[in-house]
Amino acid sequence: MLVAPAVLIIVGLRLWPLVLGVNFSFTGDGDRDGVMVGLDNYVTLFADPLFRTALRNVGLLVLLLPVAVAIPGLLATFIYLRVPGHRVYRGVYFFPAVLSPVIVGAIFTLLLAFDGPLNGVLGGLGIGPVDWLGDPGVAFFVVVAVHVWATFGMALVVFLAGFATLDQSLLDAARVDGASFAQTVRHVIVPSLRRTIQFVVVTTMIGMLTSMFGLLYVMTSGGPEGSTYLPEYYIWIQQGRLNQPALASAASTALFGIMLVVGLAQIAILRRAAGEED
Amino acid sequence: MPGTRPARWVAAVPMAALALATIYPLVFTTNVAMKTRREYVLDRFSPADSFSLDNVVKAWTSVGMSRYFLNSVVVVACSVALLLLIGSMAGFALGRLRFRGSSALFLGILAALFVPFQVIMVPLARTMADTGLIDTYPGLVLAYVAQFLPFTIFLLTSYYATVPAEIVDAARIDGNSVYGVYWRIMLPIGAPALLSVGVLNALFCWNDVLIALLMMPSAEHRTLMVGVTSLRGQYSDDIPTFAAGVLIAAVPVLVVYLFLQRQIADGVTAGSTKG
Repeated sequence: MLVAPAVLIIVGLRLWPLVLGVNFSFTGDGDRDGVMVGLDNYVTLFADPLFRTALRNVGLLVLLLPVAVAIPGLLATFIYLRVPGHRVYRGVYFFPAVLSPVIVGAIFTLLLAFDGPLNGVLGGLGIGPVDWLGDPGVAFFVVVAVHVWATFGMALVVFLAGFATLDQSLLDAARVDGASFAQTVRHVIVPSLRRTIQFVVVTTMIGMLTSMFGLLYVMTSGGPEGSTYLPEYYIWIQQGRLNQPALASAASTALFGIMLVVGLAQIAILRRAAGEED
Repeated sequence: MPGTRPARWVAAVPMAALALATIYPLVFTTNVAMKTRREYVLDRFSPADSFSLDNVVKAWTSVGMSRYFLNSVVVVACSVALLLLIGSMAGFALGRLRFRGSSALFLGILAALFVPFQVIMVPLARTMADTGLIDTYPGLVLAYVAQFLPFTIFLLTSYYATVPAEIVDAARIDGNSVYGVYWRIMLPIGAPALLSVGVLNALFCWNDVLIALLMMPSAEHRTLMVGVTSLRGQYSDDIPTFAAGVLIAAVPVLVVYLFLQRQIADGVTAGSTKG
């Protein structure tokens, strides 16, 4: 059978570990390895200030999501409307999306260092210096901003593919009716691109929850004062550094739960929004 | 109003600024990599005095980046080859042949798409340790194949679903077995999709750090990205050499991007237009 190798790998190394992991999260670490301990790991997990910070940061990500979607959406609109140089922009904006978070993180660590170039420029203007990666109140937002810098090109390309399916006559009609730019976006572009927007919202959220590890690892290592922890980083620390696989499994299960909730909530919200438009 | 000239120019200014912000960090890093330590400490922005590759050579030879680079090339090449082979077999079977239970199977594979690596990494690491695959090249390759296979199958299935059924029928009448049809007809027909999916997978594997970090604990098995992270600690007082290491890891991606930008974008958008 042609599908047999694929099924074997996916079931064996993707789906079965999920079951194992959930099961594992109810057993103990260290001396209690393999012993069923009920919900002990979850109690420890939710009492851990670092994991609480990670959850708070997930909340912040959800709040920042509209910005992360609106930026590429607006840029794609401009490119679609053929601002001067639109061909070049597409290629330039997409480029950081193919770079590894490690590379991006390394570059921005240089740029954002306390004695680095950005503070140098701001100092010249009489501002700062700001401890971009060392201030617990600032660092997480800086990392998210870098993540958006690195990934908005991906969403931009998806938006442009959506625009390719847009009915040009609707735009022409809006123009004839004298609609403003904001009106055109609200009444023509957003409803027509509902599916694309839905796709970008879901993939951007998944990206924020599961592909910021490289940036965190390189830029902040979860600090300062644990302020930039996300669940994925917490899982790595517990598993890779502190050798507490059962606790890490509990965090994994919690992350999976968060993703399910966020995913379902987004679909429900978008459905309702779509229903109002119709 | 959209499309009028003044409105276009108003948007053009911030967009040009953003394009600069997109390119500048890489230009800055390249410039730093060309400087001597002394030059860097004195002035970070000024263009490097000479176009010197000393730091790149140093990073490549004495820091071990050449070893990391080779590790990455081997692992990425094997992973992509396996992904394309297994993925195209499954994609052809699910997209074109269709058999009892094939749509249920496809749904199961889609479900795997939504299980992120972070959720399964703990049990996976344990399984890999139990089977002796941890810290080996085949182990890392297998982890990458498992990670990116659902996505690969998803794209290739939707591609093969667009191939006319008559082609398969005609080939079967000519006396080809199913495997013959796959090998002689479907593989060549799928070339554009395979190229697009292959490039994307190569980027995913090349850029990954979490899986490599988990699967390859020993220093001589480091992939390039893990190597770059270790470089940071070692060369915190020699930024130009660190920047040179970053450059070594970024240049292959830059080259691939310049030549295959269209294929990469096609792969990224294919998922958004289906379904």
